Amino acid sequence: MADNLISVTGLSKQFESGDQHVTVLRELSVHLGRGESLALTGPSGSGKSTLLNVLCGLESPGSGRLAMLGQPLAGDGAPTGKALERTWCELRQSRLGVVFQDANLMPTLSLLDNIRLRARLAGRDDTSAGDWLQRLGIGELGQRYPDQVSGGQRQRAALAMVFVTRPALILADEPTGSLDRRTAETVADELFELQARHGCGLVLATHDADLAARCLHQLDLGHQGGP
Amino acid sequence: MSPRIALFSHYRRHPLQLAALAAMILLASALWTGIHHLTSQARTSLEQSERAVAERQQSVREDGNPVSVQDFVNLRRQGLCVMPWLEVPVPGRGRLVGIDPLAAHCFAEPGHTPAPWQGELDGKPFVDISEAAAQASAEASALVLLVSQADGQSPPPAGYRYQAFAVAPDTAELGDSFLLNLDALGVLVLLITSLLLRSVFLLGLAQRRESLALLYRYGVNRSQLSRLLLVENLLLALVCILPGVWLGRALSLVLADGFGQALEGLFDRLLYAGGGEDWWLPTLTMVAVIVAACLAGVRDSSGSLLTRVQPAFFAVLLALGLAVSLWAPTLIWLFLAVALVFLAAGWLAPLAIAGVVRWLARNTGDPLIRWRLQEVAVLVRRLALPLVALQFALALVLAVHALVTTFEDTFDQWLGQRLEADYYIEVPQGADITAAVSWLAAKPELVSPELWHQVIRGRASVQTASGREPVPVDVFALGPVSHLVQNWRLLAQTETPWQALARGEGLMVNEQLARRQQLAVGDRLIVRLGARRLQAPVLAVYPDYGRPSGEVLVPASLLPEDFEARFRSLSISAGIEEIKVVEAQLARLWHTPQLTVRDNQAIRTLATDVFDQTFLLTRAMTTLTLILAAAALLLMVWVFLSTRAWYFRLLIVWGMPQRQAATQLTRVSLALIFAVLVCALPLGVWLTWILVQRINPLAFGWSLPMAVYPGFWIELAVLALIIGLSIALLMRLQLRRPASAPESAHGLQGGER
Ligand SMILES: Nc1ncnc2c1ncn2[C@@H]1O[C@H](COP(=O)(O)OP(=O)(O)OP(=O)(O)O)[C@@H](O)[C@H]1O
Ligand SMILES: [Mg+2]
Repeated sequence: MADNLISVTGLSKQFESGDQHVTVLRELSVHLGRGESLALTGPSGSGKSTLLNVLCGLESPGSGRLAMLGQPLAGDGAPTGKALERTWCELRQSRLGVVFQDANLMPTLSLLDNIRLRARLAGRDDTSAGDWLQRLGIGELGQRYPDQVSGGQRQRAALAMVFVTRPALILADEPTGSLDRRTAETVADELFELQARHGCGLVLATHDADLAARCLHQLDLGHQGGP
Repeated sequence: MSPRIALFSHYRRHPLQLAALAAMILLASALWTGIHHLTSQARTSLEQSERAVAERQQSVREDGNPVSVQDFVNLRRQGLCVMPWLEVPVPGRGRLVGIDPLAAHCFAEPGHTPAPWQGELDGKPFVDISEAAAQASAEASALVLLVSQADGQSPPPAGYRYQAFAVAPDTAELGDSFLLNLDALGVLVLLITSLLLRSVFLLGLAQRRESLALLYRYGVNRSQLSRLLLVENLLLALVCILPGVWLGRALSLVLADGFGQALEGLFDRLLYAGGGEDWWLPTLTMVAVIVAACLAGVRDSSGSLLTRVQPAFFAVLLALGLAVSLWAPTLIWLFLAVALVFLAAGWLAPLAIAGVVRWLARNTGDPLIRWRLQEVAVLVRRLALPLVALQFALALVLAVHALVTTFEDTFDQWLGQRLEADYYIEVPQGADITAAVSWLAAKPELVSPELWHQVIRGRASVQTASGREPVPVDVFALGPVSHLVQNWRLLAQTETPWQALARGEGLMVNEQLARRQQLAVGDRLIVRLGARRLQAPVLAVYPDYGRPSGEVLVPASLLPEDFEARFRSLSISAGIEEIKVVEAQLARLWHTPQLTVRDNQAIRTLATDVFDQTFLLTRAMTTLTLILAAAALLLMVWVFLSTRAWYFRLLIVWGMPQRQAATQLTRVSLALIFAVLVCALPLGVWLTWILVQRINPLAFGWSLPMAVYPGFWIELAVLALIIGLSIALLMRLQLRRPASAPESAHGLQGGER
């Protein structure tokens, strides 16, 4: 078990909207080992984002068992209340890297400052921030603000921000979803390349079959989700 | 779908916004109507009271005894047109004045507007004399016999004298000054509400930009869109203004009693009901304000104007406004200066805050601090209008507080100067005051020699040494110059003015006279006191509120034998037992059964109570404005934050615990509010200065002392803290709600930097 980055068993998630219960995730089991990658696919509304949010603690799992990086977080042996929040915070600070489709950066800070801020919050040395921009090919854009660079450059900065914390697991929700085909491919290349080099796990929600195919495992939520 | 429905459907999806806008229009209308109604009513009634007693004469007995019904009968038998005027205090309602409507007929003057008591006798405050007599208790009511103007010209019948009729010392100017200040504040309140309306309106517009763009694409042209928006706002305005005006009137009616009584007590004037009945003026004003607030530069809804116009332009405007305020020779110029300064300050404050915050951000190494500072800058820019409104409201509250407190202190002090002695005994006409004075002087064990003096009032004329025309002035003569007057606040003085005055080496003048004649301490004056011509230097200038007339203060020893005293009294500070002895002795000396002795402490207490009540109203009005501004700000913050919540949530995504993230946001909001407070303080102090040192001298010839009350700043800081914490709370709520990522990077300007 300790080798598992993600260990999810019998996870169900319901949303209550008004008096209606919408079951988004039903009896789901997911396991991911170190350095492995998993693609979440499925039609819109099938619960990809919901699952990622559960995996990073932004959404509480309804029922079932959940352990991340060997730490139980829901079900038997999981902490509750403040201790649970603290555990999640520690995980997100430096062990989990989260990338969204867009708006990963604080709009009021330059790319470099975004990465420095992220490094600081992770308790890492922020002097490597510039190196990461360099490595992702946007070294000269460090002083620009997010709205002054292209979508692809923004996503690269978001990757830099994730890797500067040296995470064990990356949770990416359609990280290339708002990019054109070619930019999407280069950004995806960089993501896989860095993931492989640093040996971290990756969970990737995507509509893109080619991108999903590049992952070690695939999970189609469309087959189990839905009301 | 017609464009109209497309536009209105916005509010169907955002009912809260509609409700907020409606509530603000309603409240603003109510506030403005209330103020307008109260001030115009007070003004009308002050005017009427002035007209009622203006230049009337009364008939009094030569022997100094109060007139009675028998005197009325006597005078009528001699063919004189006299009218009885019976003042009766009514507990809780002020006073009633009983008059005789038949006698009032010979007071009618063709070509003149009739005096207020020549109308209906409806108890506001005039009633038929029989009715007043029924309520009169012997000691408190006072009968006066007014003489018609025609009869006043011819000599009085034997045993009677004519003298000027005044219900009280003339304090009309104090009242006018008070009302003028209220007016100025009312205009500022209007300005603030228009800013708030505009900000809510622009917010709705920003949110509707997409549907407006869509309509535009569908072929609805711009002028049509503007027209639609205008119609929409007018409809909303009409629906909300009318109940607002109604509410304001209702409110003012509730307050009117207290306000009326307060004014009556404050300025010792009879107050008349009626006046200020118009409802259309506030309605029209509000409609105009709303149209102006919502229409001006609809296309500039993005706030881009802010960056387009050079700050330097507004800095120049500010300097210009300040310069004009120093120089302004008339009230109009002064109001222009205030407008300039407020415009410039309102424009510069957000720019200045953003500038300072950005500069700080550039100079910090910590990315988290930099983030906080940059967020403050964004908030300042996005919420510029409601923040400026808050700044104005804070400045207004500060100025009103200072004005009110100054007014209160000054009036209290002035009253204190005039009523320094514990008791005050009127000397009846014809009574021998010298006998009384020598008796008092011979009894130091009864009344300490430093604690009593006689006051003699009369008229004189004054001429400056440079030889200008003599001007008539009031005379205030004192003898001896007791300790009771030596605490007077003097505006300018020689080294030991009271000692010099006691030695008869000079005289003092009131502020009005000093301003009008441009007198300074040391200037020599020629005073004609009856037959005596006296040349003396000015020893000091003393403040004298609420009267237009100039006055000279001289020692009684300088008065000539033939000086015609209009009024004489004794001011005495002594214990209650001692004053009884004095009273008895004086009554014996003067052969009068009853002396008029006033307990000054009671009068002061009453005046102070009355003041508190009056200013409760002013404070309530400005505080309401502040609450309105704060509420509008919170509403705008709420809407704006919902577009920015995603970025706040990033802190949580990056592993910052909820509590820490909330602390960060609290610091952002507190920095924002305190920056606004810091901008409001100088504006408020300046406005205070304008109100007390510029408006008053220009309008009335005397100034109030300028004072700042830093203690109150702390109260404002606490208030700012509460507003800041409320904003922080709203931010916190945004943290808890699951945020959805903005559709595009700049969805609804949420991604602004
Ligand atoms: N906070 C919420 N409250 C109620 N329902 C929710 C909430 N969040 C998500 N849902 C519902 O859960 C379902 C799954 O949503 P989710 O965002 O996970 O889908 P998705 O697979 O990521 O879709 P997409 O490919 O469009 O991003 C949807 O039907 C959505 O309406
Ligand atoms: Mg999704």
